[in-house]
Amino acid sequence: MSELRDHLLSTPILAIALTLAAYLASLKVFERLGRPSWCPPVLLAALLTAATLWLLAIDYADYRLGAGWLTLLLGPATVALGVPLYQQLHHIRALWRPILVSLPLAATLAAFYSIALAWLFGASPQVLASLAPKSVTAPIAIGITEQIGGSIPLMMGGLLITGVMATTCVGLLAKHLKITDQRVLGFVLGVNGHAIGTVRAFELGPTAGAFASLGMSLTGIFTALFLPLAWRVLGL
Amino acid sequence: MSILRGFLWLLGFLILGDTLVTLLALPISNGVAGMLLITVWLMVRGRLNDDIAIASQSLIRLLAMLIMPGVVGVFFIADEFAGHWLAIAVALIVGTLLSVLTTLWLMLRFMPKAAQSSEESTNRAGHPHE
Repeated sequence: MSELRDHLLSTPILAIALTLAAYLASLKVFERLGRPSWCPPVLLAALLTAATLWLLAIDYADYRLGAGWLTLLLGPATVALGVPLYQQLHHIRALWRPILVSLPLAATLAAFYSIALAWLFGASPQVLASLAPKSVTAPIAIGITEQIGGSIPLMMGGLLITGVMATTCVGLLAKHLKITDQRVLGFVLGVNGHAIGTVRAFELGPTAGAFASLGMSLTGIFTALFLPLAWRVLGL
Repeated sequence: MSILRGFLWLLGFLILGDTLVTLLALPISNGVAGMLLITVWLMVRGRLNDDIAIASQSLIRLLAMLIMPGVVGVFFIADEFAGHWLAIAVALIVGTLLSVLTTLWLMLRFMPKAAQSSEESTNRAGHPHE
């Protein structure tokens, strides 16, 4: 039995099939649960995959090696993010002042708060590097984490929690402070909650969705440009 | 074939980004460099060709699946970061709350009031909380 398993693992096909199956199944479950924003499909799919690996006694490293043939597509997918950014550019032209003032500060603080808090609690440099890109959309965050020497799995976990937390916080604050401006809510969701926040923003309406994708792209670009530089300067 | 042509464009920009990052020793990832290059190129051209639109839409829809194998790793690192979990939890939960508050304040402070036009009323109609 274990010989058969090793034989099947000798090509990336099994890992790729497992990834596709888990993802498609998680989309079904996500629909069944009524599309909860606290439990994105990617989390369900990851849980399902982890359980399967454990059941079949497959090493995570072996799985990751095989799935790497699929995740190679993250490169062109990151390039593809330039297209929606180009399509949102008219918002920047119309509202460049508030965006220019808010975005660099908001993106810097999103990274700074978490680094400072983790540092206060004695986290190692590797943990700090994994938490720093926590508000950045995953394909960009992977590149940043590799640049500054963090752990990709830990960064991914942090990203998920951040997205869910940001979405919940914005929902509660909007309700209590009676904020209905779609542009503000969308932008806040995109800057802090990356793709998870952006999905929620599209549920609020197309304007919120557009501002969320804009906020997400700009936060990603800003952080990708300045975080590795800051890391180099600080000598971390 | 449209999607293949679009995909080739994306690969071209990725290779161009990789080349620039490598030659200039830039501290950014190849993908981000490619994304910036394609954005600038689209701005200069002033229009989006259908091939690139179709290919990028298809890939973006797959993003969640492409990052999933990385997320699976979260379940296998409990031991590796033992002793750091409190720091991680505080940083993520309190850090995110603070950054949401800051961004919200900045936006409310600097965003000009929305034009009270028909757009506002349609936005309200589509608002699920109301």
